[in-house]
Amino acid sequence: MTLVSKATDGTGRWVDDRLGSSNFVRRSLNKVFPDHWSFMLGEIALYTFIILLLSGTYLAFFYTPSLGEVVYDGSYTPLVGVAMSEAYHSTLDISFDVRGGLLMRQIHHWAALLFMVAIVVHIMRVFFTGAFRKPRELNWVIGVLLLIFGLLEGVAGYSLPDDLLSGTGLRIIWSIMLAVPVVGTWAAFLIFGAEYPGTDILDRLYIAHVFVVPLILLGLITLHMMMIWYQKHTQFAGPGRTETNVVGSRLYPAYAAKAGGFFFLVFGVIALLGGLAQINPVWLYGPYNPSQVFAGAQPDWYIGFLDGSTRLMPGWEISALGYTVPINVIIPTVVLPGLMFTAMLVYPWLEQRFTGDREYHNLLDRPRDAPVRTAIGAMALSFYMVLWISGGNDVIASVFRVSVNNTTYAGRVLLLLLPPLVYVITKRVCLALQHSDDELAHHGIESGTIRRLPSGEFVEETVPLPMPYRAALTRVEPSEVGHGQKVLASGAPDQDVPHGSGHEDSQYLETRRSRSKGFFRPKGVSTTPTRTEPSPAELEGSGQQ
Amino acid sequence: VTPPPDDPKGTSADAAGSIRDRLKSPAPSSEASASGDTSRSGVSDASFQQTDSAGLREAHGRSAQQESTHAGFEPMEVGPEPLTPREAKVAELKVAALFLLSALSVVAFCVWYVVGDHRFGTPGNPYFNPLLGLFMALALGGVGAGAVVWAKTLMVDEEAVQERHPFGSPSEERAATAEALKAGLGDSGLKRRPLLIGTLALGAGSLALLPLPFVFGMGRFQHKERELATTAWREGMRLYRNNGTPVRQGDLQIGAVESVFPDVELPQLRADSPVLLIRMRPEELQVQEGREDWSIDGHVAYSSICSHLGCPVKLYEQQTHHLLCPCHQSTFDASRGADVIFGPAARPLPQLAISVDDEGYFVAQGDFSEPIGPSYWERDSR
Repeated sequence: MTLVSKATDGTGRWVDDRLGSSNFVRRSLNKVFPDHWSFMLGEIALYTFIILLLSGTYLAFFYTPSLGEVVYDGSYTPLVGVAMSEAYHSTLDISFDVRGGLLMRQIHHWAALLFMVAIVVHIMRVFFTGAFRKPRELNWVIGVLLLIFGLLEGVAGYSLPDDLLSGTGLRIIWSIMLAVPVVGTWAAFLIFGAEYPGTDILDRLYIAHVFVVPLILLGLITLHMMMIWYQKHTQFAGPGRTETNVVGSRLYPAYAAKAGGFFFLVFGVIALLGGLAQINPVWLYGPYNPSQVFAGAQPDWYIGFLDGSTRLMPGWEISALGYTVPINVIIPTVVLPGLMFTAMLVYPWLEQRFTGDREYHNLLDRPRDAPVRTAIGAMALSFYMVLWISGGNDVIASVFRVSVNNTTYAGRVLLLLLPPLVYVITKRVCLALQHSDDELAHHGIESGTIRRLPSGEFVEETVPLPMPYRAALTRVEPSEVGHGQKVLASGAPDQDVPHGSGHEDSQYLETRRSRSKGFFRPKGVSTTPTRTEPSPAELEGSGQQ
Repeated sequence: VTPPPDDPKGTSADAAGSIRDRLKSPAPSSEASASGDTSRSGVSDASFQQTDSAGLREAHGRSAQQESTHAGFEPMEVGPEPLTPREAKVAELKVAALFLLSALSVVAFCVWYVVGDHRFGTPGNPYFNPLLGLFMALALGGVGAGAVVWAKTLMVDEEAVQERHPFGSPSEERAATAEALKAGLGDSGLKRRPLLIGTLALGAGSLALLPLPFVFGMGRFQHKERELATTAWREGMRLYRNNGTPVRQGDLQIGAVESVFPDVELPQLRADSPVLLIRMRPEELQVQEGREDWSIDGHVAYSSICSHLGCPVKLYEQQTHHLLCPCHQSTFDASRGADVIFGPAARPLPQLAISVDDEGYFVAQGDFSEPIGPSYWERDSR
């Protein structure tokens, strides 16, 4: 206690005298954060990024980004005397001659893989719960940019060791650049410095990997966090939780202890992986040699979907007027990811356009609350998964002893058939879940007690759902506050429509509203509790008559 | 009326002490300081509610009635039952044990880091990295798990409520800002001087071009087309194995395959030039039109750089003469001019015309007749 008083009285006063920070600090300590397990996914991404910065800095002390040829003389005997690049040599040194270097390298690689996993799963959480809606569209865009730059950072880092696997990956990158119409060869020469393998590419990848891209990531993450801080976190519906408040625990002390502890837990798990789970054993692959490769070569998981799309693409190429467009390369590796990321970036505005919903949303949807959105997301995921699994079709073929050609044909068919099917199924499942929710919310839980009415009719008694659950299911939101109504729910009065949006034309609104209904709710199911059947109390009353 | 942010009254009331203390003696809402996210929003400490027990709610000056006004919901009792003193003691010991585990693991990590055999080939080497990782994980995990367990068992499980400040500024605010921007533009005199607008746009616009030469200077484009279209193979060059020995006719059995290179050292040239020399029965080799003298006695040579994305095509199936690229499964038929029979590749592998010199060694008749490797825009424009 004396320590705390000293800190606040001594150091605290000293700082406050200069910065006037007391008010800010206290407001920050009192900031309320809603709690849900799914809100930790973004935290994992942040923590793994910090781990990447720490471990990457240490690795940079030992790594040499040079293609200069040297003969290996380190302690890994199987490669002694082999000619290799300085980059590969220094990677081997980190793995075998630097104490703890291998642990650091494996921590770095595992953290990179988990960083991408956390980002992707976090984006899924944000998408399926509608957390990207107004006012958080910009943070959604930043999140997608973080995904894209995370991919680039991963690819750049993957190429640095200059082992057989990463060299092959680099040649594929070179070939993809060449395939771009008109500017492809210029861009490839510009980035590689000269014809493959180039003389400058490793230095450039290195500076991109350790400085340029991390700086961009750091800036974007800072913006991301500042916006979360300023806009406050979204929350799920529940008792007392409204569009205009945040219910949870304050930053200090419980939330800070949990979040801080979670950082060390994440770091601990990654350290365990780095110690026990071997990853990217470059010494087994040998130095890069353009005439060598090994079967079953796989990129890191986050590039797998592009590998898969490349494998599934038929060998089409356009050659006309003396120019060549290798669409067998640019469609799966340039056009497809371009379209995928563009669709992700603009999705919040597409949904706004489609539903006409331009209101603020601080309460999260459960996935079933928005069947069309959930179905779109599931459809996109199934598309992605077919691509991703196809990226390992040779491994599947050899493990399950099927023809690799058939796995490719199957992938092509599934890529076209599975997404629409998943869309339809997901939407139906969401609607069915809504119906069962409505049953629960409006009629309660079946009690098993049958009561006979004076008229002779038999009814089953129901027990009302406990309050927290009912609150989560029905999502009644206050309309007296200026923003945050459940927009265009069926039966919503006209004043729910945003005024001054320039779309007061009733025909227009009617169309928008009917579309919106389909997006969120099935026709004929209301969001507000209605009493279409006698409640237990009414039954009690009628029984006495 | 919101007091100024530096009002000492509000700060002293809740700067110190535990949450419970702070909540039991809250600052009356009328004199709470402006502690919301913005002074404009006027969110005060009084807007925090504690709902973990009715007593605390009472202490906070809010009845259950008041709290349930939002959406007609009863406040929820949250958190587990309060711990008995004994349970609390057990929890405390648990947390302390985890913190202690951390300290011990750090010691173990440091000792193992110094004394462990870390070099490849030493007897202790297989255990060095796993144990190092394990100690590090325990050191980090101890503190992490301790903090989480502490927070979940011994800290007050509160459910605080904070009002959100409204998004977006009031319309007067926006109008005033727009006015200030316009006024500044007027003060700058830019509106009245169209000459300045034009020249400024031109000058600033040209600045965007300034970095272009630097960017362009990153590549060496002088012989771009030629470098892409040619390899190191020249007329009369022998076909060398990776170990530097040339291949002589008769070295390869039927069904055998050999990776061969021209005798060059430059990495760029070597990257372009790997060739696969295959020997099959002469009657199985369907010689392509115009390539009648490109092969000798069932020996045929193809570029091993895949025409799809440049991976080395190395997997050769003796019986079917199929060549498979392991990267994306493009498959070529070596007996029919390495034509594509499966996968995403669009072109056959270029064939290297070979013959035998006076000493019986295989030699190239010249460079490839077309660019090797992946397709590109200018590929056919020569």
